Order: sequence, then structure tokens, then C-alpha cells
Amino acid sequence: MNPVLQLTSVTKSFGAVRALKGVSFDLRAGEVHALLGENGAGKSTLIKVITGAHQPDGGSIDINGERVGHLTPASAHKLGIACIYQQPALFPDLTVAENIGLRLEKTRSFARVDWPARRTRAAELLQRIGAEISPEAEVCSLSMPEQQLVEIACALGAGARIVIMDEPTASLTQKEQQLLFAVVRELSASGVGVIYISHRLEEIFALADRVTVLRDGESVGTNAAGELNETQLIQLMVGREVSHIYPPAEGAPGEVVLSLKNLGCTAGGVRSVTLDVRAGEVVGLAGLVGAGRTELARVLFGITPADSGEILLGGKRVSISSPREAIAHGIAYVPEDRRRHGVILEMPVAHNITMAVHHALFPGGWLRFGAETELAQKFIRDLGIKTYGPDAPGSSLSGGNQQKVSVARWLATKPKLLILDEPTQGVDVGAKSEIHRIIRALAKDGLAVLMISSDLPEILGMSDRIAVMRSGTLTAMLPGKSDAHEVMAAALGKEAA
Amino acid sequence: MNTFLKRLLARPEAILFFVLVAEIVFFSVAGRNFNTSDNVANIVRHSAEIGMLALVMMPIILTGGIDLSVGSLLGLCAVIFGVFTHEWKMAMPLAAALTLGVGAMAGGVNAALITVLRLPPLIVTLGTFSLFRGLAEAITKGTMTYRDFSPEFIALGRERWMGLPLQGWLFILIAIGIAVLVHRTTFGRAFRAIGFSPEGSRYAGLPVQRRIAFTYVLAGIVAALAAIVFTARLRQARADAGTGYELQAITAVVLGGTSIFGGVGTVGGTLLGIASVAVLTTGLKLIPAIALAGIGSELGSLLTGALLILALAGGTLAKSLAVRRSRRQSHAAPKPTITT
Repeated sequence: MNPVLQLTSVTKSFGAVRALKGVSFDLRAGEVHALLGENGAGKSTLIKVITGAHQPDGGSIDINGERVGHLTPASAHKLGIACIYQQPALFPDLTVAENIGLRLEKTRSFARVDWPARRTRAAELLQRIGAEISPEAEVCSLSMPEQQLVEIACALGAGARIVIMDEPTASLTQKEQQLLFAVVRELSASGVGVIYISHRLEEIFALADRVTVLRDGESVGTNAAGELNETQLIQLMVGREVSHIYPPAEGAPGEVVLSLKNLGCTAGGVRSVTLDVRAGEVVGLAGLVGAGRTELARVLFGITPADSGEILLGGKRVSISSPREAIAHGIAYVPEDRRRHGVILEMPVAHNITMAVHHALFPGGWLRFGAETELAQKFIRDLGIKTYGPDAPGSSLSGGNQQKVSVARWLATKPKLLILDEPTQGVDVGAKSEIHRIIRALAKDGLAVLMISSDLPEILGMSDRIAVMRSGTLTAMLPGKSDAHEVMAAALGKEAA
Repeated sequence: MNTFLKRLLARPEAILFFVLVAEIVFFSVAGRNFNTSDNVANIVRHSAEIGMLALVMMPIILTGGIDLSVGSLLGLCAVIFGVFTHEWKMAMPLAAALTLGVGAMAGGVNAALITVLRLPPLIVTLGTFSLFRGLAEAITKGTMTYRDFSPEFIALGRERWMGLPLQGWLFILIAIGIAVLVHRTTFGRAFRAIGFSPEGSRYAGLPVQRRIAFTYVLAGIVAALAAIVFTARLRQARADAGTGYELQAITAVVLGGTSIFGGVGTVGGTLLGIASVAVLTTGLKLIPAIALAGIGSELGSLLTGALLILALAGGTLAKSLAVRRSRRQSHAAPKPTITT
């Protein structure tokens, strides 16, 4: 049987980062094909290539047996490709029928709206997927899963032959999930090919006919779902080889620097976290995207202050309600979003490096340009920042060097605790190992390091201990020499097999 | 030399400098009595208040904010100063000091709404723009004007010292103060960082809201000072004092190369912006034909507007041309970039 969708050796790079390194993938009519992979494995990029949001650099796409040269979101829609996202993109103040009408009806200027036809059509589509939703209901009055059903109805109405569902059950209850499963089975029974993305392994086994696992931008294989068990799937996802030499840990950890006791923050979605970080130790914070790791860092740095539990620094209880207080307590945070929070791209390297030490470096508030340049040059030298000088704007640096500037800014504060959030995300391989070496050297000098990373080999290679988070709380504390598979299992909420 | 000239010309201020020189040359030839010390003093007297407002507007715009209320606040402070001296019979220095306090408080209202309630500066100061003017009119019942100020006070608006009107010296002092604040202190560094990225500044531990608040309070104080100078110059305090000054101040700042989106700008550029608007508007009135037709101020605002649009369009055009050129070059030969 011919596949409805066939991707052959698709490649896609973003700057120096190769997101897809020749992925082949096919989807048959009437099947549910699950797409699995760690954070950053290339799933979203692949989806965006299929929906026409990204143009691939190489490879080919065939839809219904025909080669598609240039896929745009509009042409993808015409070819019958629909994507249902976690967060439905409907107009909340319009009714269900209006939303469906806006998606499906051809628009002409000054045409009259045929209200009865619009309503009938909406009712018909909703009935086809077994959704008990009134076409007259306003979308904002619907629950999230009901909104997803409206999206699916739109996809059906548009005659979609390929439906992509990106973590559709992330926010659903058990019962809603069952309803959604029924709809997915309905879709595939009517000959629609479904690409199903989820982190929940049990769903994969309940729904999928075939499973493709992506890792580091490559497909590591497509199997019939029945041929695999959970352990094998996890193994496929994390892989085995260590493609990168990590600097070894040295010396025994010292005093406890940071101690969290049942720390929580309702606004940030962090629940009852208990954790110690010692001087000279790198604690890796693993988990899936949305598990609450960055949120925990933001609580510690006073961006969304804690509302329950305790933070102890050097044994003393402290309250941290702003980044300034956090800095005063010796906490430094190298944020995940380098370009928005880590460096100010328009400002020179030197200004970026001294930004968190205005008080110490510029007594009385008077800028001392000599001292500033000197400090900047010291860090440019020490961290090996490649730039044409302290006056170079941050935007002229490569991603890895921007990251080093962000790290330098925080080292200048002489912190006791350094929180690194995805320190090597979007950084090329050379800069990555340099950053790893710097982190290890800092720990050796007695800094307590809390390192958030979605890169499993990095977590395993760098951490003395690994804390795993899931749904806003710590679910496992593993030794640094753990198995990838154990970490992944904890992050997914499975018992290690 | 070639590259030095190129770099000099690349600065938006450089173009403005040549515009200013061209204006001066033109009016020296075409205008009557342009090149006299009396005329220079006249330009300074007429521009000092707007100039002061522009100087304190500059740090606000540098943070990415805006203050539309300074002109109205000038009116309110003038009226309050009149109340202090005439109704409450206060001594002049005390009245002046209290007026500055009122200015600071009014600026504090803007600051609180913007930094505590996190309302957008444009909306907040649009509100206080009406509010302050309305208060001034309520106090004077829309008609009353305070006159008969003491001769010593009026001297502030008329006398010269070393050839320069007194308010000119005051303007220079404020200009030096703002230049030092913006270019030599951590405050100025923070203004710029906030203008580029308020979120990034917060993540760097900068006291973002406090620094923003400071700029609006400072604007309030200087608006009050400008109100006193204005009152001395016109020898009367009226509720409509300073009408439209906020827009002229913003024009001078933006013309002087400060980005309305924040982050980019120099006080030197602002001074050039103030000077080129001041020379243009006063110079036109000295051209006999224009003076005869009585259209000096109309033509002045017309040309100021044209100048502003030309300066902005010119800057954008130059930038996009530069981008296109570098793109073409990078197609021909890969541009060397710094990578790891």
C-alpha cells in the first residue's frame, strides 16, 4: 500500500545546529504512527517540516505519492495536512460553529453568512467524532479537551488525510483521554493517517500501530508497536553510545550550600521540593520539558518567589523575593533563554559581563571604564570567549560565546551557588565541551552547581548526583553513575525495569 | 582619515550637526540680525524651557518610556508657584523650593502608576497630561493670571551673565548633569539596559522599576524648574503655560538620535536636536518676507516636522542600504564571523 506521506532523508539546520540529519518517515492511510524522542530529538522540527512551517534543507517529501517541491502552511492545508496542538488555536469569544465556519468556509468580501448551513455543518462534524458539544457554545466555555475535539472536527471538515497530534493528552484527565482515544481510532478507521506524539508510553501501546523513535535528529528505527516493550522503547530513545568525553569529577563534595525543604510555589507550578546541593558538587536536574525544572530555578532566583517551604543557604534560612536578593545571597542563575534573558545582545560584551556587579565594581555609582575593561578581558581570557574585544556587541558573538558571556556575568558576582539552565542548548560541539570543562573547574574551586539539562548524556556525564523532576516535584535522586534508562524512566514516571 | 570620517558620518548625530551648521549659515545670510549676540540670547531664552524638558525626556525615552505630561506639569507648577507667591505670600526662594517639591510629587504619580501598577507610560502620561492641565485650570478658574512678580525674580528671565541669559546657564548645568548621569554612572547604564531589554535587565539583577521611577521623578522636578523660568521670562504665571512643549521636547530628543524604542541615544545628540529645532524656529522669524507674512511659527513647526521625518527616514534608509550591501558582499564572499 502506498503511504499517504513519505519523507526521505530530510535535513534541516538552524545555524550550526543540525536539527534533522536525514530523517526518513512514512505514514500509511488508516494507521496511527507514534513519534517518540527526548526533548530536542527533532520531533517538533519534523512536524514543522510536514506542516510547511519550516523548509527542509535537503531530502524530499511525497504526499499521496506525489513529490511536493515547496510546502507552505497554506499548501499543506490544501493537501489535507492538519495539526492539533496541545493548546488549541481557536477564537475564544466566538461560538463553535463560527470557529468551524471561519476555518472551512471560503471567504468572499461582502458575502452573506449562511447561518443555518454553518450550524448544520458544525453539528454534523461534531457528531461524526462523537463529541457532545453544542455548535452554539462559545469556545471559552469549553474545556481544553472539548476545544481539541473542535480542532479535530475542523480537520475532518477540511478533509484532512493526515492529522498530526502533538501531545494531545498532556492536560487531559483519564476520562477525557479515553474519549480522545476513541476519536483517534475513529479517524484511523475512516482512513486518516495519524501522527501521534506523546511522552506517555502507555498511550503509545494503547493507540499506535507503528512507532518511530528520533534521537539527535536521526531516526533510530520504525517498529510495529507490538514488537516493542517499554524497556526497549526507552533504550531506543536514550541510546547507548557516549559521543562525547566529559571531564571527570575531582575531590569530595564539601559543606551543604543550598538546602531546600518542601519548597513550593503555586504560581510557578513547583511542589514540595526537598534537595541539598554541596560545595564542589554538580547536581544535575533532569526531567522532561514542563517538569518544573526552570520553574524551580526561577523560584530560587526570586523571579517567582516561593510561597511554601524553606530555602537554607549555608544553614541559614533565607527568603528570596527578587533577583537582587538572590544575588546578595550568592545565588547566580544562567538562564535558559540566552538571547532574551542571558545577555543583552545590543550591548557590548564588557557591559554584559559587569551588569550584575555594578555595586562592587562601580562604587558610588560612577562607571570606571578601565576597571570594567580589565574585568571583561580577564573573563574573555579565562573562559576563552572568542570576540574581537570587550567593546564588541553581544550579537556579534556565536551562541556558545554568548553563553560564556552569560556565565562570565555570573562568575563576576563570585557566587556560592551557580544555577545553569540548559547551559549548552543550541551551542556547537566545540563550545559545548569547553563549557563542560568550565563547569567542572568551577565545581573543583568549591562552587555548588545545579545544572538543568534536557540533554541526557550531558546530565549523565557532568552530574555527581542526578535529581529528576516530574510534574513540578522531585521524583528521584540518583547517583551520578546512573543509567540513562533509569533517568528516563524516572522522568517518564515509570519504574526502572 | 577616510574610515574616521566614515565612522563619524555613520553616527546620526553627525548628520544633525551638519544640518545645524547649514541652518546657521543659511539664516546668517538670509535672516536679519541673525548673527548678533542679542539674537543668540533671544534664541536661548525662547528655547531654554523646552530644552530642559528635552534633557529630562531623554533618559525616559532611553528606558523605552515616554512622558507626555511634562508640558502640562509645567503649566500646573507655574500656577502653583503663583499661588505660593501671591496668595500665600511666600518668600520667593521658599515658593520655588516648594514648587520643585510639587514637581517631584507629580513625577512620582507618573512613576508609581508606571512601576507599581505596571501601566504603560504612554497611557499613564496621556492621563496625567490632561489631569495636570485640568488642575492648573481649576486653580486659576481658567482665567486668572498671576502678575507683578518682584524685579529680582524677573531678572532671572531677562538678565545675562557673561553674555549668556541666566536660563542658558541653568540649561548648561542641567545638560552637564544629565550627560554625566547618562554616560558616566550606573544609572545611565541601567537606563540603556532597560531600554534594550527590561526582562534581561531584571534577570541581571538591575533594579528596573526603581530606575524607571527615577527618570519620571527627575522629569517632574525639572518641569517645575522650567515652570519657574517660564514664569520669570513672561512675568506671569498662567494655566496654559507650556502647552505643546512635551511634543517639542520629544521631537528634539528623537531628532537627536535617541531611539523611541529605547536603549540607543546620547545626550550630545539631544543637545544638537534641541539646537537645530531652536535655530530653525527662531531663524525663520528673522527672514523679512516670512516675518512680513506673519507665518514664522507655522512655517517653523512645518519644517521641524519635515526635518524629523527626513532624519528618521534617512537613518532607516541608510541602515537598510548598509544591510543590503553587506548581504551582497556576503553572497560574493563568505563574511568572516567569529565562531568557536
